[in-house]
Amino acid sequence: MERRAEAITTAAAALLAAFAVALVNFANGGSVDAQTGLTFLVFALAFGTLFVAVRAFAPRATPLLIPPVVGLVAIGFFEIYRLDPERAGLQRWWLLIAAAIAALTLMLLARGTTSILRRYRYLILVLSIGLLLLPNLPSDWGVPLRGLEVNGSRLWIVLDLGFTRMQFQPAELAKLGMVIFFAGYLADHQRALREAHRRIGPIRLPEPRQLIPLVLAWSGSIFILIWQRDLGASVLMFAGFVLLLYAATGATGYLVAGGLMTLTGAAAAAYLFDHVHRRVIAWVAPFEHYQDEGFQIAQGLFALGTGSLTGAGPGLGRPDLIPNAATDFIFAAVGEELGFAGTVAVLALFGLVMAVGFGISFRSRDTFRKLLAAGLTFVLAVQVFLIVGGVLRIVPLTGITLPFMSYGGSALVGNMVLIALLLRISHEEAT
Amino acid sequence: MNGPIRRVAVGVFVCMSLLLAGVTWYQVVRADELRGDQRNPRPALSERGKERGLIVAADGTVLARSVEDPSNPRSFMREYPEGRYFAHLVGYSSFAVGSSGLEAAYAADLRSRRDLTISDLVAALLGRDLRPSSVEVTADPELQRAALDALGENRGAIVALDPSTGAILASLSSPSYDPTLLLGTDAAEQWEMLLNDPANPLLDRGTREIYAPGSTFKTVVAAAALDTGAADPGTTFDDPVEFRLPGSNATISNANGRPCNNGETATLFEAFVRSCNTIFADLSIQLGAVDIGITADALGFNQDIEYEWEIPQAVWNTEELAQDPAALGQSGIGERDVRATPLHMAMVAAAVANDGVAVTPYAVHRIFDADGTTADETDVTELGRAMSSETALTLTQMMERVVTEGTGRQAAVPGVRVAGKTGTSTGSGEFSNPWFIGFAPVDNPSIAVAVLIEGTETSGESASGGSLAAPIASELFEVWLTQ
Repeated sequence: MERRAEAITTAAAALLAAFAVALVNFANGGSVDAQTGLTFLVFALAFGTLFVAVRAFAPRATPLLIPPVVGLVAIGFFEIYRLDPERAGLQRWWLLIAAAIAALTLMLLARGTTSILRRYRYLILVLSIGLLLLPNLPSDWGVPLRGLEVNGSRLWIVLDLGFTRMQFQPAELAKLGMVIFFAGYLADHQRALREAHRRIGPIRLPEPRQLIPLVLAWSGSIFILIWQRDLGASVLMFAGFVLLLYAATGATGYLVAGGLMTLTGAAAAAYLFDHVHRRVIAWVAPFEHYQDEGFQIAQGLFALGTGSLTGAGPGLGRPDLIPNAATDFIFAAVGEELGFAGTVAVLALFGLVMAVGFGISFRSRDTFRKLLAAGLTFVLAVQVFLIVGGVLRIVPLTGITLPFMSYGGSALVGNMVLIALLLRISHEEAT
Repeated sequence: MNGPIRRVAVGVFVCMSLLLAGVTWYQVVRADELRGDQRNPRPALSERGKERGLIVAADGTVLARSVEDPSNPRSFMREYPEGRYFAHLVGYSSFAVGSSGLEAAYAADLRSRRDLTISDLVAALLGRDLRPSSVEVTADPELQRAALDALGENRGAIVALDPSTGAILASLSSPSYDPTLLLGTDAAEQWEMLLNDPANPLLDRGTREIYAPGSTFKTVVAAAALDTGAADPGTTFDDPVEFRLPGSNATISNANGRPCNNGETATLFEAFVRSCNTIFADLSIQLGAVDIGITADALGFNQDIEYEWEIPQAVWNTEELAQDPAALGQSGIGERDVRATPLHMAMVAAAVANDGVAVTPYAVHRIFDADGTTADETDVTELGRAMSSETALTLTQMMERVVTEGTGRQAAVPGVRVAGKTGTSTGSGEFSNPWFIGFAPVDNPSIAVAVLIEGTETSGESASGGSLAAPIASELFEVWLTQ
C-alpha cells in the first residue's frame, strides 16, 4: 500500500519534470517536443531502476525518501533545462548513471549489509583520501587521468581516453567515504571519547589526547582549503565531523571547540586567502560591490525579489542574468521562476528528506548505522544550509552546490548514493 | 545517543527555519524593493522581452513592430517606423508609461501568447500557432503623412473616413510626438515633458476632444429642415443685418457684418452657401430643438459611438434648447453648448455623401495570425439612416456650391467635384477655431473629411474655416484621389 503511494508520487514528480520542460519550451517559442517525452522517459527509467532495486534489495526501506528526492531533482532539472538545454541533456545522462550506481550500491549492500562498510572503514578512509588527492595530479602529464583546475579551484579530475573525455569531482564521493569512516571510527571509540574529559567548573572539556581526531580532521580541512582552494568541501567535511563527534559523545565541549576552530579557521582564511576574502566582501555588502564581488549575490537577490510570491513562470524569468545560475544559484533561479511558493516547496522537500534521515537514525539500534544515518543527514543538511544560506546572505558563499538540484553529475551520483545508503539502513532497521 | 542527534536535528530545523525566514524576507517583505531596484533589469526586460504583433497598413506599411534586440537575444524592442505620423492612432506600448491608441485597444490580440495563461496552454497543447496576432489598420499612410504635414505648426486634427464603410482613412492630431521617445530608458522624463507641453501633444484632438463645430453644424440644421419639409433650398427668409434672439437683447450677425443677400430676403440655399448666421439662427428657432435633435441624434450626437476606444459624446441638448429659443438660435450655428469631435463631424459629412446613411467608424480592418490568415475582420455597421435620400442629394448640391462659389472655394480640386462646409467656431481666448467638413468626388464619394484647427497665434486672428481649413481639405482630396 505504501509502496504504491510511493510509486504514484514518484511518477507524479517525473510528470512534473516533463510538464515543466514543456512549459519552458512553450515560453521560449517552441511547443511540446521530444524534450518533454525524453525527460519523462529518463525520469521514469532512472527512478524506476531505483525503485526495482529497493524492492529487490531493501524491500522494507522507508517509502518516504524517494518521492521528495524525485521532486527536488525534477524542479532542479527543469531549471537547468531552462538555463541551458545542452547541459540538461548531459544532466539526464548523469541522472541515469546516478540511479544505476545507487541501485548497484543497494545490490552490493544486500550481500553484506551495511556492517560491511564498518568492517572496511580504514580501506574506505584511504580510498577517500586518495579520491580527494586525485585533482592534485598534474594537469599535463602523459597519463589519461589528470587533475584539472577550474575557476581557481582544484576539484576536478579528467579521464581522457582519447575517444572520450569524462570529468568528475571525486570529493563528492569522498565525502560519503569520510562519513562512513567517521561513523565507523566513532562507533568504535565513542565510549572512550565520551567519558574521557575533565571538568573545569560546569564545563566538561575533553582530554587533550581525545582531541587528536578533531585536530586531524581540522588539518584535513585546512589542507583541502589550501591545496584545492575548495572552501565548501573544507567547511562541509569539518562541520560534518564535529556534528557527528557530538552526536556520538554528547559532549558539548566538542561542539564549542569545533565551533571555535571553524571560526578561527574561517577568519584566518578570510584574512590570508584572496578568494575567501572576496566571498566575505560579497556577503557583507553585495550592493556596495555590485560591479564586481557582489554582482552574483545581488543578481540572486534581484531574482528572488522579482520572483516574489508566485514567480515569473517556467522559462519566463531571467535567471540567466545570474552568473553560474545552474550550479551555485539554482535556488535563486527557482525562486525567480517559481517564486516564494517554489522556494518554500524546495525547502519543505529538503526538510522532509532530512526528517526522514533523522528518523532512520533515531530508530537504528546499531550504533554504527545510527551514526551513519545521522552523518549522512548532517552532510546533506550542512550542504543545503551553506548554499541556500549563501544565496540568502545568511552565510558567505562557499561554492557548494545544492544537492539533487544543481547541475553537476558527480554531485548527483554522490547524493543518490547517499540516499541509497539511507534506504538500506532503514531497511536493515526494519528487519 | 539519540539525545545529541535529536539536539542536532533541532539545530538543523532551526537553520531550515532561518532559510524560510530568509526567503520570506527577500521574496515577500523586500520583494517590491528588489524588483524596483534600478540596477535590476528584469522588469524592463520582461516587458521588452515579449514579442508583440505587427500593426500594419493595408498597403503593407509597418506602423509598429517588435524587433529582437541584437545585444540581448529573446528580448524585443518595439519600433514605430512612422514615428509621429501615427502617434495618436497607433499609440504606444511602453513599459514605463503604459499604452495608448490601438496598441492599448488591441493589446489582447497583439500580446505574446506565451504568458502561461490557461488559454495559452490549451492553445499550445492543441498545436496552435503561438506567435502573436497582428492588426491591419484602415488608414492610408500617404494620406496620413500628407494630413499631418498639412497641419504644419497648427494645433488641430484631421479625420478622414470612407463614407460608405466608416473605415478611417486618416486620423491624426497636431502637434504630434514620436512614440519611440516613450520606449527608452528615459521614457518617464520624456512622458513628463510631453505632459507639461502647453501644446498638449499627447491629446488626440481628432477623437478624444469635443469642440464647438461652428457653421459646419449648419449641415445638420439644413438636413433637419429639408428632411422635415420645413424648408427647401428655395425657401426665403428675412435678411436682416442682425438677427435679434427672442427674449433677449443679444443679436446674431454674419461674419462680414453684412446682410446675407440683399437685405430683404435670402433663400436657404444662399444662406448655406454663404454661411449666414442670421438666417440659420432664425431657421433653427423656426424648426425647433426637437427636429434638429432627431437629425443630430441620427448622425451620432448624444450617444456613445462605438469606436476603437471610448470617445466623448457629441452634444446637442434638445431638452434644454427646447425651453430656450435664444440659446437654440446660437446653437443652430454650432455655437454655445453644441460640441462634437472632428470624428463626429467627419461622420456628418460621410452621411451626406453616403446617401443619407450614417456608418459606424472603425480603424482596424482585420486581425491576422502570424501565418497571414485572417482571424477576425471588422464588419461594416450602419448607425442608421440620418436623412432621406432626397435630402442627402439636395444637401450635396448645396455643399458643392459652397466649394464652387461659397465660403469653401479653397477646398476645390481641379477636375474633381468637391462638396463641403466651412466653419469658424468660437475657440478659447481671442482666437477662433477654423473647421472644414466635406467629401469628394460628388458623384461617387470615396472620402469624407473633417479638418479642425485650434485657434492660436499660429493660425492667427483672421483665420477662418474657408481660409485655413479648406485648403488643407483640398490637399487631402488631391492626395487621396490621385494615388
